[in-house]
Amino acid sequence: MARPHIEPFVDRDVQFRKFTMPGFPKGMHYKMLSLDPDNGACTMTVMFEPGYKQPPGMSYSEYELFIMTGSITVGDKVHGPGSYFMVPAGVALGALSSSRGATGLLYYNYGEPSFVESDSDHPRAERSKFVAVNAYDDMQWTSTNVFPATAPGCLVKVLHFDERTQAFTFLYCMTPNFWQDNISYHDCAEEAYHIWGTSWMMQFGDLPTGGYFYRPPYINHGAFGCKLGTLALGRTDSRLYNHFHFNPWTNVEENRERAASRIQHWMPDLYKWINTHGHNHPVDFDFPHGHEHGDMPHHHGDGQVEHAHKSRRRRRKK
Amino acid sequence: MKSIPHKRSREVEAWLKREIAEQKVRYNSIVAEQDALAPKRDKWVAEFLERIQTRGVHVHFNMMRKVSPEEIPVRPKRKFRVVF
Repeated sequence: MARPHIEPFVDRDVQFRKFTMPGFPKGMHYKMLSLDPDNGACTMTVMFEPGYKQPPGMSYSEYELFIMTGSITVGDKVHGPGSYFMVPAGVALGALSSSRGATGLLYYNYGEPSFVESDSDHPRAERSKFVAVNAYDDMQWTSTNVFPATAPGCLVKVLHFDERTQAFTFLYCMTPNFWQDNISYHDCAEEAYHIWGTSWMMQFGDLPTGGYFYRPPYINHGAFGCKLGTLALGRTDSRLYNHFHFNPWTNVEENRERAASRIQHWMPDLYKWINTHGHNHPVDFDFPHGHEHGDMPHHHGDGQVEHAHKSRRRRRKK
Repeated sequence: MKSIPHKRSREVEAWLKREIAEQKVRYNSIVAEQDALAPKRDKWVAEFLERIQTRGVHVHFNMMRKVSPEEIPVRPKRKFRVVF
């Protein structure tokens, strides 16, 4: 199974704990927000103690770090609130320290937290995909630019966009008196953390500062409201499409069925082709095939859609 | 490359096991809290269904349309779940 539906969860209600994973330096504390029981991928609120020091190093999983309060120093540059890093698997980040302490959000997207001391990249690292930006100082708010879109008053800053999966990480805000009267669900999983402010959803009630959710695909959420404004960090695991409707009582199966039916009507030729035996193992010429890439379960026309290959041992030539 | 294959140590496996167990407790407590919210939620739903007939439902951005009474869905007999 993937991550369960965690919604809502307010991390202000729990205490920070020492982060004791092997390899990590002392001085980091965490609150677990959600965790994938299969691969260990997780999202945590983290706190770096004043004086925290971490040598240069890499992770086996892609990870993202967003600084909420305080500051960290990476190399010789100080990164304050709003700083965001997307560090691909195997990319070595310079020495990290925090002289006065900091809090942030830390996402390990495809595996459990890991840290290997190293001042050079892993041979399989994709350094070109590294992102470092200050979301507060370097970027401006834009509308959501999706169709159909959220109601006026929900603005975003896209911090990272994955070209292959169309997953994206975004800062978003709801203006005071924002409201949206419909119910939405998506084909992707979605998670968000409230940096500041309270918003309301018809299913779950109020989500205050420190509120978090991890919502698997096809789960209803909305109508929406926000009295005083909200600032939050959101993330999806693939393309986000707003499937809007107004039936409060539909379940995941009905929503998924509806989404599939919509695909059938929107892209009839592709839908038919994919359903033809032998064609449901598509290869994207822009990216390495799944066998080599290893990050995407795929199948061979036999319906085993979670099929994945183990790494093969190559025979030595005699 | 989203992740690089590697071996997990026993300590890492133990950490994961503990976190997974705690997450199950957290999930169960969320389900209980959300079940307790049912009376309020029913009221919110009734207000929503009223609003979309008078003010309208959002279709795209600021585009709204009024929903006619015959379009209003009927509540099914099964339990109204919001956490899955």
